Amino acid sequence: MERINKQKVFKLAEQLMLRLSDEEADNIIAEFDTLLKQLDLLNQIDTSNVEEMIYPFEEPTSFFREDIIDQVLSIEDALYNAPVEEEGYFVIPKVVKD
Amino acid sequence: MFANRKIENIEQEVMEAVSLARKQQPLLNAMVSFMEVDEAISEAKNSNGKMAGLPIVLKDNVLTKGVRTTGSVQILDNYIGAYDATITKKLKDAGAVIIGKSALDGLGMGGTGTNCHTGFVHNPYDLNRMAGGSSVGSAVLVASGAVAFAIGSDTGDSVRKPASFVGIVGVKPTYGRISRYGIIPYASSLDHVGYFTRSVEDAALALEVLAGRDDKDMTSSTREVEDYLANLNGDLRGKKIGILKNVIDAIKKDQTLALFNELIEKCVNAGATVHMINMDQTRLQACLPVYYIIANSEATANHSNLDGVRFGMQEWGDSLEELMTNSRTKGFSFLLRKRFVIGSYSLADENQDLLLRKAQKVRRLLVEDYKTALSDIDVLIAPASGDVAPLLTDTSADQLSARYLIAENHMVLGNFSGYPSMTIPMGKIDGLPIGINITAKPFEEQVMFDIALGMENLTGCKNMTAEVNV
Repeated sequence: MERINKQKVFKLAEQLMLRLSDEEADNIIAEFDTLLKQLDLLNQIDTSNVEEMIYPFEEPTSFFREDIIDQVLSIEDALYNAPVEEEGYFVIPKVVKD
Repeated sequence: MFANRKIENIEQEVMEAVSLARKQQPLLNAMVSFMEVDEAISEAKNSNGKMAGLPIVLKDNVLTKGVRTTGSVQILDNYIGAYDATITKKLKDAGAVIIGKSALDGLGMGGTGTNCHTGFVHNPYDLNRMAGGSSVGSAVLVASGAVAFAIGSDTGDSVRKPASFVGIVGVKPTYGRISRYGIIPYASSLDHVGYFTRSVEDAALALEVLAGRDDKDMTSSTREVEDYLANLNGDLRGKKIGILKNVIDAIKKDQTLALFNELIEKCVNAGATVHMINMDQTRLQACLPVYYIIANSEATANHSNLDGVRFGMQEWGDSLEELMTNSRTKGFSFLLRKRFVIGSYSLADENQDLLLRKAQKVRRLLVEDYKTALSDIDVLIAPASGDVAPLLTDTSADQLSARYLIAENHMVLGNFSGYPSMTIPMGKIDGLPIGINITAKPFEEQVMFDIALGMENLTGCKNMTAEVNV
């Protein structure tokens, strides 16, 4: 793997809607150095013809349930934690500018 | 102990627990918030449940309706649970009295108890030491004697490692055995609900309360819940105990090995047979990077909904994007932002084959190795850590050494595989506890509990509590 650079770190953070300081980006790059060395351990392992394991068990536990409403969060409960709420809506900055 | 014990004076028992936890709080810093208990005490008095009147604590990533649930992150600092998690409901139905919510490394991401929104949590055996993580507050409150039962969650070893560091029992049952509905997630393919007790009997009873199918968690198992306590049998005669030799070879501390070998000798004398098991060393050394890649990738996706719009802390901005960026930047500690960046790197299109898919393939190989290792034995065991709890200031671990990669991180195999796995204390080194990890085949919790009881009888390490000078 290529060593990550600061520009890439800032780009990833921006995509995640996070900001980082210069020092924080340097710290992440340093951590990547250790991580990349650990990843070399991964690359020593032959995974030809091996399928990815997503969940521990492959026995089915999910199914289509009957289409019956059995669990409802009231509007009051749903809005209880809203930082800003008005007339039953979440309030956000104006999207369509003047 | 609460198994087979009826609590006569519920109010007194609960208030004593609250009082002790409050007195210990300035020293241990294990609790995030205390809950009102009056109504729960009244309900417990009329309960015939298996935990009637038992004061308990929940990790603060378990939702409780109408009660603050922070996940130990700034962005959820003011979040009030909109509903009860399934386990919250089950515990209430069993008559338990929830006295508070305990500290964790933010969102469960960390193994030291030093990344909690509410500050460092201290080990009750030595206040200068860590108690592990991420379920640190729950482990500490059980070890300190405040409560006899507490809920945790385990994504890497977040119940079993702290249990080792504070001398108690920590259980992570089979993946799907306990519903995760209403738990703030970390990494969905690895997350398990777990819990702490001070005896194997209590651990067996607790699983009867917590386990079972829940249609609200589609990964929960439909298998029947057994009578673990009634069927508990600590007779070790004929039991086949495998020792994970790679871990033993990676441990450098003689006192840890001496305690372990002493217990093994006692197991043999009690009629068990012991089998040395070797797993592929190269694959085992990859456990930690596999874990980091999968866990961080899943966490990055899971926590994209924490944006300051619909709930949680908000930092206003001139645009929606700026509001979200402001809220997320202020709302997550640097450690969490770092993990999200690392996770996002693995999820990037150009890296998915090299990192995420590669890690998921190695996970399959490791689980196949683990399955083979357990095929002819009842349980696989190893010390839960190479040493006792580190000092809070200790950052000396060489993250590329076998000691670190294997001895300190092997329990993540239980999360990759979903196999039931627990830690019980095996003794003390210079006054500090250290545990042994026991793993069984999927859904064979009864076998795991039976052998754990047999070992507990041999070590005498039962109902241990630390003396905290409040």
